[in-house]
Amino acid sequence: MKQMLKNWLTKENLTVTVLLVVLMLGVQVLYSAGILSPFVMLNLIIIAINIILAVSLNLVVGFTGQFSIGHAGFMALGAYASAIMTLNFNAPFIVSLLVGAIVAGIGGIIIGIPTLRLKGDYLAIATLGLAEIIRGVITNIDYLGGAYGLMGITQRTNWLWAFGCMLVTVMVIKNFVQSSHGRACISVRENEIAAEAMGINTTKYKVIAFTMGSFFAGIGGALLAHYITFIEPNAFNFLKSFDILVMVVLGGQGSITGSVVAAIVLTLISTFLQSLAELRLIIYAIILILVMLFRPQGLLGTHELSFKLLQRKRGVSHGNHSADA
Amino acid sequence: MATILQTHSLGISFGGLKAVQDLNLTLNEGDLVGLIGPNGAGKTTVFNLLTGIYLPTTGDIIFKGESIVGLKPYEIAAKGITRTFQNIRLFGELSVLENVLIARHLHVPYNMIHAILRFGKYYQGEKEMRDEAYELLKIMNLAHKAEEKAKNLPYGEQRRLEIARALATHPSLLLLDEPAAGMNPQETTELMELIGFIRDKFNLTILLIEHDMHLVMNICERIYVLDYGINIAHGTPEEIKNNPRVIEAYLGEGA
Repeated sequence: MKQMLKNWLTKENLTVTVLLVVLMLGVQVLYSAGILSPFVMLNLIIIAINIILAVSLNLVVGFTGQFSIGHAGFMALGAYASAIMTLNFNAPFIVSLLVGAIVAGIGGIIIGIPTLRLKGDYLAIATLGLAEIIRGVITNIDYLGGAYGLMGITQRTNWLWAFGCMLVTVMVIKNFVQSSHGRACISVRENEIAAEAMGINTTKYKVIAFTMGSFFAGIGGALLAHYITFIEPNAFNFLKSFDILVMVVLGGQGSITGSVVAAIVLTLISTFLQSLAELRLIIYAIILILVMLFRPQGLLGTHELSFKLLQRKRGVSHGNHSADA
Repeated sequence: MATILQTHSLGISFGGLKAVQDLNLTLNEGDLVGLIGPNGAGKTTVFNLLTGIYLPTTGDIIFKGESIVGLKPYEIAAKGITRTFQNIRLFGELSVLENVLIARHLHVPYNMIHAILRFGKYYQGEKEMRDEAYELLKIMNLAHKAEEKAKNLPYGEQRRLEIARALATHPSLLLLDEPAAGMNPQETTELMELIGFIRDKFNLTILLIEHDMHLVMNICERIYVLDYGINIAHGTPEEIKNNPRVIEAYLGEGA
């Protein structure tokens, strides 16, 4: 335990932790004091949810190299499962969240095992199709409200919940990716045949990544359901999957901080452009085209933003370039 | 010496083409054996059969006393057979060190929960893995390039990295597919010494495919010759050099 603390208590970890706590509590205090308007709060919470969705999809698409475009399907599973828990079973929020995540995770396993045998375009089409099937099934179940969806879900998602869930998502995925198991996933992306020959059970790691991705998509869906208090099948169509995919590609496939930055930027852009109505979609598209023209690898490529990187950029070297990258 | 690998009339056909036929290989522990033959003779196909990438149409492969036919490549790697690739297959976007670390995953000393919750076991295990990976890079003379992207290494170094990566799985049988391809004579000589050195250091049995006859004749104790998928000769380098069928296969009839 002592060793664990010592390993964790580095300068960078401490700085990041302090900054995050200040951000989390600061925003909450400012909101309670009436300085931040509900409109700003709405955007901050949507940003947090989008970060959860983008980072979890990045694990599948960016790190493991499995081009899945069905993320909204798993969001839907999480949203509906958690909403049912709240509406029909009066469950505490944490239970609803976990049930949503677990249902989405199980959906990930069931869909992942057969589809992850496919590669590239075929996998993309299969995941897209299965996400639409999830939506179609939900639309046809009366218990789930059919095409009208579910209404009157208690609003339980607030800034602290959204931000907390986002932190957990990012930490878990970051720690996973930096472990030997995460490297096994990355090796699948880099060269599947070589990975197999080096003893990596590639199917297993694809399914693990896909399941983790779905699990956190479920959390994202559950948070959203308990924020806007109303869900309908059409909110989880392929356009939603596509939105998340754009964040991953724009931020850089294989960069967690890239997904975070892209989720923030794209959410803000679409908010600011809201007043422009139709023009908004055109401007949004132009921004994407420009980024893809000039930074095809995404804003950050596979790099991560870190204090070390910033220091190096500013030419301040602390001489601590050990192997523990 | 104990037999480590044996194939019994191993063969594979692709449609009507018999790429390998009736192959009977025997490798004893500690052997350094060459597999040679003209282009297209089926040498790499033999490696693909031994490592589970192809499923044989006939015959059996016995490794350490049990059949490995039908096992997945990763299961065969776990049993102790690893290989390098003729057309280099490194994890190009990753660092040299990470390439070796990934191959070390078979023996990862912590589990996913340790990693996600950052238990002490994770830090300790990562350190062990990194230390060992560095050790292997030192042996293969690549330690100074540990942080470089694998795809940016020169050709010869990429081949050495493939060997370092294969060693990280702790194999008992190492299959080297044209390890000297694209190397200059100086590098080839160094590689020859290196291959002998790692065999002794890691108690390996090595089967290698090579076109560089100087290398093969110098370090291999026995040689199998393939031509059109058929094993046409087997013996010591001296015997192979003077075998009329081998000369015919390489130089054509009447040479």
